[in-house]
Amino acid sequence: MVIEIITPDNLLYKGHIDSITLPGVDGSFGMWDNHAPIISALTKGKVKIKQASSKNSSYDEFSGDFLADIAKDESFEFDINGGVVEVQNNKVTLLAN
Amino acid sequence: MANLKEIRNRITSVASTMQITSAMKMVSAAKLKKAQDGITQMRPYSEKLQEILSNLTSSLDMSENQYSQNREVKNVLIVAVTSNRGLCGAFNNNIIKSTNQYIKDNPGEKVQVIGLGKKAQDAYKRTDFYHTDYSEDLTKVYDDIKFENIEDFGEYLMESYKEAKFDKILVFYNRFKNAATQIVMNEQFLPVEQAESEEKTTTADYIFEPSKEEIVDELIPKSLKTQLYKAVLDSWASEHGARMTAMHKATDNADALKKELTLSYNKARQAAITNEILEIVGGAEALNN
Repeated sequence: MVIEIITPDNLLYKGHIDSITLPGVDGSFGMWDNHAPIISALTKGKVKIKQASSKNSSYDEFSGDFLADIAKDESFEFDINGGVVEVQNNKVTLLAN
Repeated sequence: MANLKEIRNRITSVASTMQITSAMKMVSAAKLKKAQDGITQMRPYSEKLQEILSNLTSSLDMSENQYSQNREVKNVLIVAVTSNRGLCGAFNNNIIKSTNQYIKDNPGEKVQVIGLGKKAQDAYKRTDFYHTDYSEDLTKVYDDIKFENIEDFGEYLMESYKEAKFDKILVFYNRFKNAATQIVMNEQFLPVEQAESEEKTTTADYIFEPSKEEIVDELIPKSLKTQLYKAVLDSWASEHGARMTAMHKATDNADALKKELTLSYNKARQAAITNEILEIVGGAEALNN
């Protein structure tokens, strides 16, 4: 599935991933391919992402260096202060703060 | 005709002013580019947020929400977004003018003004309208324009609306249209006006976690902060656009003035030389006789 991580200041990451773990308001939850459409509020916590091993096509438009930094490994994680996630048709949009 | 030295001094001073104004123009042009980038980078976030929010609210009754209660308007807070620095034409004046206009037009409301930016603060510091309860220094926002830096202020505004300190909160700022044009915007910050969803958003059968209402409660403060942040970014870009235009005009004016002065300097110089020759010729004539 494809993911876009957007913050108010920039586009943090865009690429193909295998799975993602998110800090939901009612507890952490994970998602794989073909997840049902969902909108969920997130709380402060860690986001873990496992990149699709074959196609590491994480291109960036804006903040090149940071993107390269967090996307170094096959799986990476980072902290958010809250946000919202929307999943539809294998497209994940994560609005993070 | 003014004497030579006087004109020469004026030419030097105009030339150095010109140097300053054209340097300021360059600086503003560079900063404008950065400010515009900031706006473009924020756009995907605010658009997506708006999309999700309108998706949710179209099926909910929003009148119950704590951020959209239309109370009788008695106390109004105006957030006047201006710059910290001057030399940018009518940029700050326009905001202050429209704030004053609002105060004049609504005598029944008790209006308070809070300045986001030094110029608005200076304008209202000595009036009865100045809102003094917010302790943080709002001029610092412009030192480093980031979402986090505006969040606290947004929360403060929401808090004071919830506590019914104010029944209406407005944001006055310059919207960036292009480098030469700014539009003064009077936006209602709170209560939230329910957006009319003209286009029926294709609501896939979403799972909502937690409930719809709770997500909306999470999202509205976010979208409000985004709105505030957008106002600041727009104002920041407008400021540099306005300064660029103002400094461009100043440079042009200085150039014209300099040309004029150089002309009269040369005329004066020529006259002085002619005088001198006449004196020499006259002196030689006298010797010959």
